Amino acid sequence: MKTSTKSLDWGLTTQRLLAVAALLAIWQVIIWSGTLPSMTPGVAALASSIGASLASATFWSALAQTMTAAVSGWLIAVAVGTVLGLLIGSVRALDRSTSILIDFGRSFPVLALMPVVIMLLGATAQMETVVVALSCLWPVLVQTIYGARRMESAVVDTVRIFQIPALLRFRRVLLPSATPFIATGIRISASISILVAVGVEVLSQTPGIGRQITLAQQAQRWDSAFAYLFFAGLVGWSIASLLNFAEGRILKWNRQNND
Amino acid sequence: MTDTALRSAPKPGTGTRARRPEAERVRSRPAQVALNVLQRAWLIVVVFAIWWIASADSTNVFIPSLESILTSLGRDLFNGVIAEGAAYSLGNLAAGLLIAVAVGIIGGLILGETKRLREIVDPVIHFFRSVPQAALVPLIIGAFGIGQGPKIYTIAFACMWPVLLNTIDGVLGVEPTIRKFSRVYRIPRGLHFRKVVLPAALPQIVAGVRVALPIGITVMVVSELFAANKGLGFYILNSSATFMVPETWAGALLVGVIGYILSLLFVVLERRILSWYFKSGAK
Repeated sequence: MKTSTKSLDWGLTTQRLLAVAALLAIWQVIIWSGTLPSMTPGVAALASSIGASLASATFWSALAQTMTAAVSGWLIAVAVGTVLGLLIGSVRALDRSTSILIDFGRSFPVLALMPVVIMLLGATAQMETVVVALSCLWPVLVQTIYGARRMESAVVDTVRIFQIPALLRFRRVLLPSATPFIATGIRISASISILVAVGVEVLSQTPGIGRQITLAQQAQRWDSAFAYLFFAGLVGWSIASLLNFAEGRILKWNRQNND
Repeated sequence: MTDTALRSAPKPGTGTRARRPEAERVRSRPAQVALNVLQRAWLIVVVFAIWWIASADSTNVFIPSLESILTSLGRDLFNGVIAEGAAYSLGNLAAGLLIAVAVGIIGGLILGETKRLREIVDPVIHFFRSVPQAALVPLIIGAFGIGQGPKIYTIAFACMWPVLLNTIDGVLGVEPTIRKFSRVYRIPRGLHFRKVVLPAALPQIVAGVRVALPIGITVMVVSELFAANKGLGFYILNSSATFMVPETWAGALLVGVIGYILSLLFVVLERRILSWYFKSGAK
């Protein structure tokens, strides 16, 4: 699905803009036709409140709060997940013993734990970070385990025959071969971190974008609720594209090998 | 994505080939089975035991003993409180997923086959996919009320994107030769979609649904935790609002167990649907 942007395709860009315009027009027509509840904002109201949020301090501080919690939770998850994953993935007995536990944790909808976590930690930024970290841990962990486990037999034999010391083996053999997988895990969990952070804010009223959406909706300020939703999507989208780009750059050697 | 990683783990190669046909070896030797089970299960038992013992005489009101959690879970499981809620929640999940799969596959087939259209709407799709699903919940529930319909739509909206994107990828992955054959023999359009493109894209589509399933479960719970008068999320919320701490824990754990069971069931279903694919030894 990647579009080559070597030379900017003006025709395509115009058509994309037209598609967005068409979507907005459909939206406006639906609003006029009155099939949606009356509080849904029209295109003009939406545009003006998107502009207004950009100028408001509330928006920027909410964004900062959401981003802080999401990024710190994500970093914790990446650190813990990589270390644990490399360990589990390279020790076969450990891998087997933990497989059910990891499968279980991975399919656990962490947001369902919210009432329990709020009881334990309160509706605070730390609580949000913990929940984000818990949700982001699994993709990193699972991908790292897979990366560490997957070792070509020729390499394994070579390492054994030359009696490569454990540390050197770890740094020069295990890590490089696992890196592409770890990178994928890190990328997946980055998207999850924003989703979960906003989800936590919606449910627990911890300050941030999610709380602003709920507040705006309760105050019947639907236009600003939609504006915040738009920005939440925009942030998620930029992070996903950024990491995609970074992964392609950093792991160029891997891509080339695969092709 | 992550799931494929875990399950397709045994890679060809002399190192792994020796222990690859585990199932066959295991069936012939009962001792081996016991050892295998033990190796996989001991950690769960240990975790469970530690939790049980550590929480046995907990004085913290918010951390009830595991025993009391399980007692209240058992009680509410048998008196039907949970069963009713679970039926409601899982019904919503199933309906939402069904809509998402239908829309996702049809949309994906169309977009996958028409390059220009795909390129045009690509940024829009990626934007909608990035909208935090949980943030939709207050808006949809606020606009349409706390009934069953809005919850189903939210689940459907959230689950649609992975199915759609994976279907597109699957359609793009159809062998060019097969595509040409289909064109050369002038297979009618409908037949071409149903018998050529769809089966070829199916493994990818199923993988998309596998990604969508946990998203659906999360949205299901979140929509009920936010506002509901029925369902598993409501059970958790109601217990926590009335300070029934063991019940709150029980509900949260139960949702986790349900999530786990559903993901296991899905693997079984996947084996069924894609048995031809696994048999062909692809990938």
